[in-house]
Amino acid sequence: MLTVERLSVRAEDVELVREVSFGIGPGERVGLIGESGSGKSLTALALMGLLPDGVTASGTARLGGRDLVGVPERRLKDLRGRTVSMVFQEPMTALNPLMRVGAQVAEVMTLHGVAAGRARERAVELLGRVRLPTPERIARSYPHQLSGGQRQRVMLAIALANEPDLLICDEPTTALDVTVQRQMLELIAEVAPALLFITHDLAVVASLCERVLVMYGGRVVESGPLREVFKHPRHRYTEGLLAASRLPPRGTRLATIPGAVPAAGRFPGGCVFRDRCGHATEACETAPELTAPDPTAPDPTAPEPAAPEPAAPELTGDGHAFACWHPRG
Amino acid sequence: MPSHAGTPEADPVRTPAGDSAREPLIEVRDLTRVYRRPRTSLTRPGEDVHALKGVSLTVHRGERFGIVGESGSGKSTLLRLICALDRPTSGSVTFGGREVAGLPERSLRFLRRSLQIVFQDPMSSLDPRMRVRDLVAEPLVALGEPVGDRVDELLDAVGLPASAAGRYPHQFSGGQRQRIAIARALAPRPEVLVADEPVSALDVSVRGQILNLLADLADELGLTLVFVSHDLAVVRHLCETVAVVHDGLIVETGPVDDVWEAPGHPYTRTLLAAVPTLEGFL
Repeated sequence: MLTVERLSVRAEDVELVREVSFGIGPGERVGLIGESGSGKSLTALALMGLLPDGVTASGTARLGGRDLVGVPERRLKDLRGRTVSMVFQEPMTALNPLMRVGAQVAEVMTLHGVAAGRARERAVELLGRVRLPTPERIARSYPHQLSGGQRQRVMLAIALANEPDLLICDEPTTALDVTVQRQMLELIAEVAPALLFITHDLAVVASLCERVLVMYGGRVVESGPLREVFKHPRHRYTEGLLAASRLPPRGTRLATIPGAVPAAGRFPGGCVFRDRCGHATEACETAPELTAPDPTAPDPTAPEPAAPEPAAPELTGDGHAFACWHPRG
Repeated sequence: MPSHAGTPEADPVRTPAGDSAREPLIEVRDLTRVYRRPRTSLTRPGEDVHALKGVSLTVHRGERFGIVGESGSGKSTLLRLICALDRPTSGSVTFGGREVAGLPERSLRFLRRSLQIVFQDPMSSLDPRMRVRDLVAEPLVALGEPVGDRVDELLDAVGLPASAAGRYPHQFSGGQRQRIAIARALAPRPEVLVADEPVSALDVSVRGQILNLLADLADELGLTLVFVSHDLAVVRHLCETVAVVHDGLIVETGPVDDVWEAPGHPYTRTLLAAVPTLEGFL
């Protein structure tokens, strides 16, 4: 349904996202993970046609036969909010503080040609659909009168208003309490038509998505079915992220990834992760391609795994791809 | 079994098992704090908000004490009262046996030296126009103490290069800024380090670095740690004792492993169930 091919984003001569390719099927929930500064949000903004001035996207992204990248703004305006819509991290800055919540939900519908009266009724219905109590009263409220979780539900109602084919969520629960986050994630799973969910929290992705893309340095370094990638990560960056996400009992050291994400344009050439990777060699000075090796063919560079897992049906190796010269065995 | 209580009067604070020999350092007794909302009518006063409804806890010397709660639970109010940044409506907070609740700032020098705070967002807690050298030295200068080589020593202790001293906060990443905030807090050689959500704004890879650093420093310097978080899993990793705050009350307190394994209060169970974990899905 969504097909992204060789999507790149650049600001003048700095390449921020490089040749990202992936697809999302109808009803599929895909997670996009990585540290801040990995290029996750820019990828999403490129799909929404919301890149800041001076930042340009190239490559193709097609959703239901329509191009999202490289089309003029007046065409995008028609698609954005109707075919594809987005929920942002901070609902307080995304909502207009001077406008009643119901009017903000109705506005996205009138902009796409729904009559004003009908849009007002639909807005109340939508606020009920995202499980806001007393939707009529909420519709008459201003954003500051609502809690963080309620505001994020309003954002979701706005995003769903025109029945989009694809919902993009950029860290929608990061600012929320854990119990509220839980309810919000359940709601998103229930209402999203097809979902691209951006987060740095691996546990959140694990609870929501079926497939996962791991980004670092503006590239997809690993992708595949969630359970397989998380159980058998191959890229050393994914391995590091997973290890760091585990909180062992007291008295044991936490695993960390050495160093920090470099600033945009300061990533090393070749494999972008090699300056933080314990396994890097000279081979890593050449950029590895994102490839899905044939799981039946033995990998000549890696030792045979000690004890092969009993073949569970979901671990077939379908679509599990990574870009690493020294993958985890 | 962890003790738990739904009412303020039934809230016996337990000493963690095996730590009865340790001496109490911070004692909080029947603490309440009522805020008044701004008035919305000319004829009626604003509504009262009961942020804390009678909280008692004891932090022992050398203990790592976690406070867990969600926004609006009262955990930040509790923290501000422990640090004497606010005055309670009633109740007492003692530090090493000395009352700190309601004291004027000039009588709190001993506390300012012995107890230091690391805040959640180092971007807003570090003055953007001060160099790291001056930021780290400031608590010493404020206490009228010589600075000497202390800045270099502290930067080294938190894993920053000496060259960091001449730079400004914005030139550092989030994790490095949190290291600067920790160096600054350690400058007056405090006994107690209070950390308010110090890792919630950080990426998971960097979170590990900061949690390891806090654990190492607590060991090396014999610090007492008061660690506030919304994440019970992080508290379980770092702390030995936990107090779960909900709706202005401590609903459950005890050794963190007991609370984690066998939560006694329904709210703690809700909180535990809501935390997404990788293990649960793999």
